[in-house]
Amino acid sequence: MSLLSFLTRRLALAIVVLIGLSILLFLIARVLPGDPARIALGPRAPEYAVEALRKQMNLDKPLYTQYYLWITSLLKGDLGISLLSRRPVQEDIKEYFPATFEEVLLAAIILSVGGIGLGILAAKYSNSWLDGIVRIFAYLGIVTPAFVWAILLLLIFGYWVPIFPIQGRFSPGITLPPTITGMLTLDSLLTGNWATFWDALKHLILPSLALAMAPMAQAARIMRSSLCADMGADHVYALTAYGVPENRILTKYLSRLSLIPTISIMSLDIVSLFAAAFVVELVFNFPGLSRYGMQAILNKDLNAISGVLLIFGVLFTLITILIDLIVAYLDPRIRLQRKSI
Amino acid sequence: MYSKILKKFGVVLVVSLILALVASCGQAQPTPTASSPSATPTTPAYTPKAEDYIIRTTEDWPTYIDPAVGNDFSDSIALVNLYDSLVFPTPTGDVKPCIAESWDVSDDHLTYTFHLRHGVKFHNGDELTAEDVEFSMKRLLTIGEGFAYIFSPYIQDCTATDTYTVKITLKKPFGPFINALPRFYILNKRQVMEHIEKPGQYGDFGDYGKKWLLTNDAGSGPYKVKEMKMEEYLLAEKFDDYWGGWDPDAPKFFKESATSEPATEYALFAKRELEITDELLPLETYNSIAKINGATVVAFLNGNNFNIMLNTKKPPTDDIHFRKALAYCFDYDQVVSSIYPGCVQSRGPVPSVIPGHDPNVFQYHRDLDKAKAELAQSKYADKLDQYPISLSWCAEAPEEEKVALLFQANAAELGIKVQITKKPFGSMEADAQSVETTPNASLIFVASHYAEAGAMLMSRYHSSSCGSWEQCEWLQDPEIDQMIVDALATVDKQERFQKYYAIQEKIVDLCPTIWVFDQAERRAYQSAYVYWPAGEAAQSNKVYVPIMGYGMYAHDMKVYPEKRAELLSKP
Repeated sequence: MSLLSFLTRRLALAIVVLIGLSILLFLIARVLPGDPARIALGPRAPEYAVEALRKQMNLDKPLYTQYYLWITSLLKGDLGISLLSRRPVQEDIKEYFPATFEEVLLAAIILSVGGIGLGILAAKYSNSWLDGIVRIFAYLGIVTPAFVWAILLLLIFGYWVPIFPIQGRFSPGITLPPTITGMLTLDSLLTGNWATFWDALKHLILPSLALAMAPMAQAARIMRSSLCADMGADHVYALTAYGVPENRILTKYLSRLSLIPTISIMSLDIVSLFAAAFVVELVFNFPGLSRYGMQAILNKDLNAISGVLLIFGVLFTLITILIDLIVAYLDPRIRLQRKSI
Repeated sequence: MYSKILKKFGVVLVVSLILALVASCGQAQPTPTASSPSATPTTPAYTPKAEDYIIRTTEDWPTYIDPAVGNDFSDSIALVNLYDSLVFPTPTGDVKPCIAESWDVSDDHLTYTFHLRHGVKFHNGDELTAEDVEFSMKRLLTIGEGFAYIFSPYIQDCTATDTYTVKITLKKPFGPFINALPRFYILNKRQVMEHIEKPGQYGDFGDYGKKWLLTNDAGSGPYKVKEMKMEEYLLAEKFDDYWGGWDPDAPKFFKESATSEPATEYALFAKRELEITDELLPLETYNSIAKINGATVVAFLNGNNFNIMLNTKKPPTDDIHFRKALAYCFDYDQVVSSIYPGCVQSRGPVPSVIPGHDPNVFQYHRDLDKAKAELAQSKYADKLDQYPISLSWCAEAPEEEKVALLFQANAAELGIKVQITKKPFGSMEADAQSVETTPNASLIFVASHYAEAGAMLMSRYHSSSCGSWEQCEWLQDPEIDQMIVDALATVDKQERFQKYYAIQEKIVDLCPTIWVFDQAERRAYQSAYVYWPAGEAAQSNKVYVPIMGYGMYAHDMKVYPEKRAELLSKP
């Protein structure tokens, strides 16, 4: 199977998954308890105002009609009005998604570099003090939820050693770059605004670090275990016998092999960062999509819930395809297997 | 050899990176700005900058700054600072002139004529006229959101009769009408009309400017929107031409942020980047903040109360003796001393700071003998096993679980079983929509809509509120309904209050609710460099303005940046 046909097949499957997802999340959003229009306007709003909102939201129509209207609007790029922000959901997503995306992107970089790096170090010096430290860090990291990391980091680096800002995306008085991607760090880089870049990056570091800690610890453990297991393989003895330096074996041959399970796990971890981000965004008052999504769920903001879940669903699908491609690149057996099909 | 070099290199690299990061972060602290007083110079020659005169507070989010949309705590704080109303509330629960300098009332109490102050400027420089008042009232009633529910049952028409006179006609007499008017905010008609989007759901008025007013204001209040970031904060700056004038130490900026995370608020407060906390923090956090130099924690009764609402149409709480047994067995002292310290046990359905509260109405106390005697008279006395009580408490208010467990333990002393369910507020709202789904007992906080007993009695015990979470009792008593309507239609204040007293007495006798406590709103503030009238009043055990949001009226606050700088200079 060629790469092109593999991709085509995966994308076709992804479309089926997304259609299923759209039905599922449409239904999930509607089985949450409470009348969305009444929740949005409050218990004291007169019935005529609530009724008008129900009509505007098509809540007065049968469920299948609601789905039809919702999906046709969706195909036109219209996700409806958010009951919470009172704006079109796509406007909200456009504003909040880049914030969460750059937060998760930085977290992904930290967890990839940190997780793989620490795993290699721990494996190379297995059973030494360095390995012990990494192991303790890994256990601590795995058992500590992101919100606890967020609070700890906030108190340490925001209060006791106040070197990082602890709320928002930028400091007041900072000149914001023109919106290109919506990601402050990237936009300020593209426009050469270094002061804003640095300020935005500093606002990102603590939230991203809090997000990355647990999956980084997990990745380090998997990487170490995988490397240690492969170190006893025959081909490693053969390479050693041929006089290939230990570090070369580790970084060139073994790491590539061990990266396969690590990357597979990391990819799922990275996607789940979007879900974990909501508590972190709450702690740091970070205006991101995850917090927006959580608020939407608590307030039964149907259109916003659907919009956010759809975005995350699409992301999940795309990232898993991307990871499949990376794994295929790293593991010749998978490529060969495809060719033989 | 190679591996040792790699190891050393790795350690050196990591340490260097950390050091570089720490060093560069330290150097790159933002220049002194509104949000970073930690970087302000702290020498004796310190000269405050405009941005140092700021009051920063936090509140639950989202915040709607459109007067025809917003009506919760966070919205109210923004509205009282951005907009003016015809009258302004006072600590006694009365009102004083504001945009209306005076008013006349017709003999039949159906027509109110307001004479407006001349020369009041909107934030864009336009003069406020009667036409703006007419437009604002019609807009509020048409949209029907926000505080419209207070006025829509009563207002027939609102007309500008000349530039500075506006006439409001009522459908029926509404005794507390003037006292309710602080909840009506005036917008600049011309400015709103410039920003309407068509087509919209309001015909010729398009969207009535709702989208624009999400992030902009069209008011004449002491502050104007400088920056409104949905989901994040509202930053408002002083309106120099405010008709009410300014104290030289008044805040030049007012910021309301969207966070109520205890650790975040503690850190911000300690760094002097937060002047007044919200009222939502756990007790432990207030206790920690109280230890910070220059911090004061105050608690003041805010006109809200906490209720155990008993479903009077569902067995076994449909039996009055059963309800009274529960009211007598409940340990009120335990709640106000340990679970919600600072709060006071309620006396009847109207909080004690709300005008029209009856200070002599009967108050239930824990008395097991009376509880047993009442239970013995109940038709369920010998069938308690068959009638367990269902109880729901709100998942968003964790402390309520302790009250639920206490209620369960107290009821067990009488042999009554209580089945506790933790529910999101959305579920509780849904449950309240029918008698069958409403549990026997619901734990709920309630706020008065405006500062008079009639507001609380109407929203809590009139049959029109059945089906909403505000009345899980399903009282549906035609006599009480009539008494409430009659009281609200009574224009003479003394007479109206007497009627309120009679209603309270009757309701207490029916015992549809266990009135647990009147809520004390707890906040911490930087008393070392902030003068906050509501905080000062609380320290002197005085009532400030018992209307949601008015405690945060920034115009009357004062900030002393030199004192803040002095605090920051201390280790």
